[in-house]
Amino acid sequence: MSLILNGDEVEAGGSVLDAVLAAGIELPHLCKDDNLPAIGACRTCLVEADGRIVAACSFPASMAKRVDTETKTARRIRRGVLELTLAMQAERGDEGGPLAGETASTASREGAAVDRFAVRTGRAVDATSPFFSFHEAACILCGRCVVACQDLQHISAIGLAGRGRDTRVTPGAADTFRESICTSCGSCVAACPTSALRPRGGAE
Amino acid sequence: MSQVAGLPLRFRFLPLLHEAHTRDGWLSREAVETIARQVRIPLAEAWEAATSFPEFRFAAGGGDGGGCGGLSCVVNGAPPSESVHARCRFRCFEAPVSGGEDDFPEEMIRLAGRLLAPDITGWDGLRAASSMGSARALDMIDRAGIRGRGGAYFPAARKWRAALGQGRPLALVINAEEGEPGVFKDRAVLCRRPRRFVEGLAIAVSVLRPAVTVIFINGEAAPARRSVETVIAGAGEVFPGGVEVVPGGGGYVLGEETTLLNALEGRKPAPRLRPPYPVESGLFGMPTVVNNVETIANLSILFREGEAPFLDPDPAAAGGSKLFSVSGRVARPGLYEMPLGTPLRVLLAAAGEKDGAAFAAVLAGGPSGGFLPASEFHRRLVPGLLHPTGAVTGSGGMVVLDTTSDLRAAVLETARFNARESCGKCTPCREGLPRVVESLAEGHTEGLDDLLEVVGAASLCGLGQMAPGPIRSARHFWPELFS
Ligand code: SF4
Ligand code: SF4
Ligand code: FES
Repeated sequence: MSLILNGDEVEAGGSVLDAVLAAGIELPHLCKDDNLPAIGACRTCLVEADGRIVAACSFPASMAKRVDTETKTARRIRRGVLELTLAMQAERGDEGGPLAGETASTASREGAAVDRFAVRTGRAVDATSPFFSFHEAACILCGRCVVACQDLQHISAIGLAGRGRDTRVTPGAADTFRESICTSCGSCVAACPTSALRPRGGAE
Repeated sequence: MSQVAGLPLRFRFLPLLHEAHTRDGWLSREAVETIARQVRIPLAEAWEAATSFPEFRFAAGGGDGGGCGGLSCVVNGAPPSESVHARCRFRCFEAPVSGGEDDFPEEMIRLAGRLLAPDITGWDGLRAASSMGSARALDMIDRAGIRGRGGAYFPAARKWRAALGQGRPLALVINAEEGEPGVFKDRAVLCRRPRRFVEGLAIAVSVLRPAVTVIFINGEAAPARRSVETVIAGAGEVFPGGVEVVPGGGGYVLGEETTLLNALEGRKPAPRLRPPYPVESGLFGMPTVVNNVETIANLSILFREGEAPFLDPDPAAAGGSKLFSVSGRVARPGLYEMPLGTPLRVLLAAAGEKDGAAFAAVLAGGPSGGFLPASEFHRRLVPGLLHPTGAVTGSGGMVVLDTTSDLRAAVLETARFNARESCGKCTPCREGLPRVVESLAEGHTEGLDDLLEVVGAASLCGLGQMAPGPIRSARHFWPELFS
């Protein structure tokens, strides 16, 4: 299967995002882990495929003829989504897991303004686990921690409870991680693209 | 606890939650955890699923005020939903309403065609379909051009063939959630013409031979559920494999097929990524056909009366009649069965002005549709867009505003509804819609069009993608409204 990507013909078998990254093109993908299935929640990986805006992480390359990552529309809409994402964060430090800086660096690369929308976020902190802490003020609800815990580790200690604006990361039905079935494997911390999940011992 | 043949235990999760909620009036953590263990769903997953249904409560006592915040009630004098924070009660025809659901009143069937004619007796349509055999029956559905009446108008035969073509055991799922404020047609059919629907279902089963047949029904629509369960129980050998009737926990987003399938699988009711499409991999990975109640009921007409009622010389009118739920400021609210392609003004004339006030606008297609001013009432109610700014025929919900109505409040109400019904999975819808509401409420509309573009283009599912429609259309036709 071949695809015209930003004007060049490339071979593509998986998702559009796979093809984009394989070609060495940078594209935001805040909820897509390299080794886990697509979630499709962050909507930062939008590109134009045959004139339509689609999410590269979940759009099969075989369904597209021509993909452009840098059209005016794609850039404008990506930026808008990133600006909404930044407005979820009252904390943007990178003192977290290995990927903690991803959201901020992606947003600045795409030219997203930090102040287009007023920041509004929950402020809950859960520091009851001996190995990590959770800071809601940095969480962008991307769902990567959940997939890591439920689908990769098959522990299912962490989930996205509630709906709409009330959605939040919780240790299942438990009040705290200490009271939950969390085994402190650290997969969620390793997956988090923000400083919402932080290993303990580092700066808090 | 019985296990449904061939399905994982977790299929029982939602029905058990609904049962516990009905019994106790709320769901305690212990109750959710006990059920999760019974059906072997990991705890965090069970908790995320349970807490994502708007009709479930997680604290004892209280309630949601009993009022209705649906648009039809708002334009008929109910306080806007901001204050009552109640969901639509789906009795928009007697707005303003309060309290739970009732049997659909026969007198609210204002205009009956073939579908709403007095209910059928016997199973002649089923017999005709069975004696024809699957292949010929499918051809007949194809020729009649029956399209999905849930709002998408996808050709039923094409969907069925795609699922059958997978060559694996399939699932047939009927979506009777009907979560759009201002729409009450499926409830009406299930309450008043249940045999018509059940015969259609039996025909679908005889053609598709599904391994499992499920009716997903709104958890608060108890009268509709009882009615259809009674007819199915009496139908005996018509359903050799049985029919599972699953009551849900509400949510407008369940109109999205994959969300509905997640709910049935005991997962968080949020959309899946496509592909795979449900016809390829739907309920527990089975090729799955999801159809609306009204679509299925039409099969009974087809196999009793042949193709003639569905063949229209005008290809834009996708064959057959459509059930229109009319509410708001009209003299005769209720259900009107009219041919697809009927001009909107004909439908409005039938419903009549209320207290002599002239019609001012119609919200066509509900919170995922758009407003039309009187100058557009000549438009014909065909499948798809009625106007590029948003109005659609959709599932046939028409909420009417007149010169006494506060259009601005109505637009705001549709925006609030979408923000409230956002499942929260994707960022543009979850984060964008509340900001849209604020901007409308405060009258700060600069930057609003850009924000609407982001929400519409970037959102994962139809809820977010179509949420800008009512706002865009209102701003197009009444530019002074929010300035
Ligand atoms: S805690 Fe981190 S990984 Fe989990 S949803 Fe929030 S930002 Fe995403
Ligand atoms: S568009 Fe809205 S309802 Fe649909 S997935 Fe996104 S958050 Fe959920
Ligand atoms: S990476 Fe595609 S939606 Fe998040």
